Amino acid sequence: MAMVREPLLFARLPVGGRRLLFGMALFAICFLFAFPVLWLILTSLRPESGVYYVHRGTEFTLASFVEVLQDERLLQAFFNSAMISTLATIFSLLVTVSSGYMLSRFKGPAASTWFGTIYVFRCVPYISWVIPLYFVAQSWGIYDTYIGILLPHIAVHICFFSWLMKGFFDGIDPSMEHAALIDGCTRWGAFIRVALPSAIPAISALAVLCWLFTWNEFLFALILTGNKVPMVTVVMAQFVTEMGLRWNLMAATAVMALVPAFLLALFGQKYVIRGLRI
Amino acid sequence: MAAIVLSKLNKHYGSLHHAVKDVDLEIADKEFVALVGPSGCGKSTTLRMIAGLEDISGGEIRIGGKVVNNLPPRDRDIAMVFQNYALYQHMSVYDNLAFGLRNKKVPESEIKAGIDRAAEILGLHELLKRKPRQLSGGQQQRVALGRCIVRNPLVFLFDEPLSNLDAKLRAQMRIEIKRLHAQVPTTSVFVTHDQVEAMTLGDRVVVMRDGRIHQVGTPLAVYGKPVNKFVAGFIGAPAMNFLEVTIRKEAGTVVAESPVLKVAVTEPSSVALEAWQGRRVIMGVRPEHLVLGEGLLSRSFAAKVEVVEQLGSEILLESRVGDARVTVARVPPETAIAAGDQVRLSAQPGRLHFFDPESENVIAA
Repeated sequence: MAMVREPLLFARLPVGGRRLLFGMALFAICFLFAFPVLWLILTSLRPESGVYYVHRGTEFTLASFVEVLQDERLLQAFFNSAMISTLATIFSLLVTVSSGYMLSRFKGPAASTWFGTIYVFRCVPYISWVIPLYFVAQSWGIYDTYIGILLPHIAVHICFFSWLMKGFFDGIDPSMEHAALIDGCTRWGAFIRVALPSAIPAISALAVLCWLFTWNEFLFALILTGNKVPMVTVVMAQFVTEMGLRWNLMAATAVMALVPAFLLALFGQKYVIRGLRI
Repeated sequence: MAAIVLSKLNKHYGSLHHAVKDVDLEIADKEFVALVGPSGCGKSTTLRMIAGLEDISGGEIRIGGKVVNNLPPRDRDIAMVFQNYALYQHMSVYDNLAFGLRNKKVPESEIKAGIDRAAEILGLHELLKRKPRQLSGGQQQRVALGRCIVRNPLVFLFDEPLSNLDAKLRAQMRIEIKRLHAQVPTTSVFVTHDQVEAMTLGDRVVVMRDGRIHQVGTPLAVYGKPVNKFVAGFIGAPAMNFLEVTIRKEAGTVVAESPVLKVAVTEPSSVALEAWQGRRVIMGVRPEHLVLGEGLLSRSFAAKVEVVEQLGSEILLESRVGDARVTVARVPPETAIAAGDQVRLSAQPGRLHFFDPESENVIAA
């Protein structure tokens, strides 16, 4: 005998009621995520004296932004973070794309060793890399340099994103490359001229993820950089001083740091979604 | 001249899987050969070894007299059509067709002429500017065929190219490939699991199972004189009926009998069966070689109809003879018959096949 299931409460509601309920749920979830950001923006616009009294004051000012923008170190940090994120993205993609391709298409000792290596690195807690990396950076004399912060980021990207890239290539039919091999391409030719162009949505998605990862990253930046190469996330945290917390300045910096990430996510979103869908 | 010669071709995957076993095959210049067999029989692997997409574990492949074992695919002067078309998705149809020629550094004017010719043959002119994903399955497969013919290669390889198309389109493309081969005669190897495709397209059909070639022959030979029970059952639709019988000699005539039937065997089968007197063999008879009705009394037997399939042009009957199921084809569509009816079936003379129950090889046909 077939079970007759009572329609659930939601299904029993009239269409208008369903819409209302759905809308409310949507709003609640959005609010949950957006609230901290709204609070941050609000804080950045408050005068220093009003930071702790947001619920009372109605006074708004751009003074925090002006003050922050006059800080040369902060401007340098923005430049550094942007440069390092971009360079890390470019260099790591060069490796990630081909390593993802290899993991997807080749079986054999080389592929499985590589697979095992990045698997192990991926399993090691991220935080436990930091102290050894500090000593390595010190002894190689690359502490607080571009290269010193760039290399660890590239390594992390390769370990984390080769897997994603492998997944993308798994979704691309290899017979297209076989056709290219027959049509006169070498293995590399088939990869570059046929597989890569098909993976462009995926690569764009990965580029966005890589860039955001480095831009938002704090731990490596804190341990591996000092005064010479300040990074945004670290400088932002340095508003916590012995003199007190400069919440308004921190918030202003955070809002500014949010902008490039926000824009990238906004414009990159369609690639990310398309890329992850392959 | 582009004959293909496979000698003692072997393919191992690791130590456990022996995919292709000692395959010997000679394909003449401009011949169309169809490799057919159930999935996993090694036919695609064989084709991919000819293409150079799989390494050869043992043996030798010659194309046009030249050993190609160690040549990469691009140096073998072959073209291949894949099951899922394998068109370059990011290029227009024109660029897809031009890709191979551009790799060979052919001047652009010659490329254009070649594509014009191919587009003419396959009716691709309106599609040249489109991207593959804007085309239907049939159109994509035509483009894939076009990509082969513009290159003017020594050999065409087809890897189940019609499997992704619906039945109607498949029949159309089959004709198109046949016409193409007449217009551009090129040595072709066509892999399929569909025996109808193999029979209709191949000058010769190669039936494979478990990595081995079971029979090579013209479609008629493979159909009419199968060398073993597997080939007999695989080629022909609906499939051949098999019945267990014992061979006896009664009053100078060889008869095949079982508790439910008794059939007189005529020459030349009867001569080969003399030696099998008193032994059990498998008798095979194709559904289309059974007729409803008494026929010659010495060849007929009783059957009970279980299912009647009216096709309009004919009726297919599923019937039971003792424990065995027997399919009958080509029953006139107007015949009044229903499930449950008792009928008599008789086999057309000279259309019985007998197989050794142990080796399954043919004894007499």
